[in-house]
Amino acid sequence: MSGSRSKSIVLWTLVTIALVTLSAPTIVVLGASFTGGNIITFPPDGLSLRWYARISQASDLRNAFLRTLQVATICTIVAIPVGTLAGIALAKYAVRFEKTIQIYLLLPFTIPLIGSGIGLMLIFGKAGILGQLWPVGIACCVINLPFMIWAVTASATGLDPDLELAAANCGAPPLQVFFSVTLPAVMPGVITGSLLMFILALNEFLVSLLLVDARIVTLPVLIYNSIRSIITPDLAAISVVFIACSAVAVFLLDRLVGLDIFLKSK
Amino acid sequence: MRAARTAYPLKWRVMDALEGVAAAIWPARFRRATPYLMLLPAVLLVGLLVLGLIQIADASLRTLDTTTFQFSDNYSIANFRRALTEPLFLVVAQRSLIAALIVTAMTLVFAFPYAYLMVRTRSPGLRKFLLIALFLPFFIGQVVRAYGWLIILGNQGMVNEALGLVGVAPMRLIYNYPAVLFGLVQYMLPFAVLMLAPALTAIPEELEAAAGSLGANWVRTFIHVVLPLARPGFIGAGVVVLTLSLTDFAVPAILGGGSQDFIANAIYDQFFRTSDQGLGATLALMLVALGSILVGLVFALFGAGTLAMGRSRA
Repeated sequence: MSGSRSKSIVLWTLVTIALVTLSAPTIVVLGASFTGGNIITFPPDGLSLRWYARISQASDLRNAFLRTLQVATICTIVAIPVGTLAGIALAKYAVRFEKTIQIYLLLPFTIPLIGSGIGLMLIFGKAGILGQLWPVGIACCVINLPFMIWAVTASATGLDPDLELAAANCGAPPLQVFFSVTLPAVMPGVITGSLLMFILALNEFLVSLLLVDARIVTLPVLIYNSIRSIITPDLAAISVVFIACSAVAVFLLDRLVGLDIFLKSK
Repeated sequence: MRAARTAYPLKWRVMDALEGVAAAIWPARFRRATPYLMLLPAVLLVGLLVLGLIQIADASLRTLDTTTFQFSDNYSIANFRRALTEPLFLVVAQRSLIAALIVTAMTLVFAFPYAYLMVRTRSPGLRKFLLIALFLPFFIGQVVRAYGWLIILGNQGMVNEALGLVGVAPMRLIYNYPAVLFGLVQYMLPFAVLMLAPALTAIPEELEAAAGSLGANWVRTFIHVVLPLARPGFIGAGVVVLTLSLTDFAVPAILGGGSQDFIANAIYDQFFRTSDQGLGATLALMLVALGSILVGLVFALFGAGTLAMGRSRA
């Protein structure tokens, strides 16, 4: 970056405000979870791990968290093959009606979440599968699928089609070409996409809220339902679970593919 | 025998078998259709949403009989008439739409310098720090983030406690419109930065240097070079932020405390509080239409920007 002093002052002022705004809730939730008092005060009443001890005893929280993990796993397992194949197809082939298919596959983003959630609630209700966990996983997969397709197309456009032709020319049949040339080339995209799918499903709130009932409540919905009453530190301690998951996801993403890939121009 | 087996390992046999099966099910003469086969699962999965929309459309045409709590068998447009004439819905729609526009503008103002610094900085450490600071909240759900704001801004929150220490009476910082707007901007920032960054990467830094060497100061360089070239990023970011904030549920619910409902909250209430599924479906359908019209309008005017998937880059 080059430029004058006034440019860096303006840039840095705006960036600092953005940084503070982005980080404040995370830092505060982390801090509040270690408080020694019964309610959250400022300055805090000393440090303690009592709220963590308390939430580790609560079976409803643990079960909600396990259910949330299950939903995220189902979502990711479905999204990986579906999104990878669609992404490769869009990136590599001149598909007829390409524009139409693209717009169609962007529907999960253009239909508001409340619309998608209610639509899925109505059809799952008609099918009689409401109240089970796997439809919630499928729903999370549908609404975030464009992320997976995007990630794959982004890395598939870097794949030289000549490589596949060369493999075929050397006698590789179609599946072998796919598994030894195409798939390894798009692997960074598949990893990025599946991490995104997992973490977004883990955090998915509105669609979960519409599709779960009291017996299969997921953790974000449970937190939302408990928020209305007085602010107590046990909720902060549960929220730290999400912060930890997010930190792990960021770490993995950086290690496996590098966060910089999000800066690449397409 | 042994020599033959090592010469032809198990993995090859498995692959041969798979190739055989694949060739039997999908012979080479179908090859032209292969991309469509690959797209099929995704098309079917997204088809669930289309089915859902059809269900919503069907429900929106049935009115609730308030004496029997049954839905009518015959279709009528009574729900649409109610949705368009009841002042409550008009207020809610106006509130959401204005909020979406303000939030989009605010988010872009803060996201652009963030993305610019992240892309242009020469220090890999700073770049990584900015990326981590962006992704950490991005991967933490809305509910947890809104909860963080409650701890900070709530009536017994940190800011009010701190103000109390210096003798300032507690102020009501949440459950109002600005709090919802603020929460939404915070929620949208990572989306906007991630849509803007690729567009900024695509602008060669030499262009800025060239503008500078021709005598333009940095403000003019931004206005005449960087901002126009970053247009695909602004379109992508703008569309995403506009539609997501217009249709958001969690932030208005948690930081608005029931007094700042957006369209999504009104729809939820129709389904789960008033139990008028027909009217709720009508509102949902109108929101889908509003969102699609906005997205369609932007795409028609400016192209798909960084939102485009696949080979063609608009």
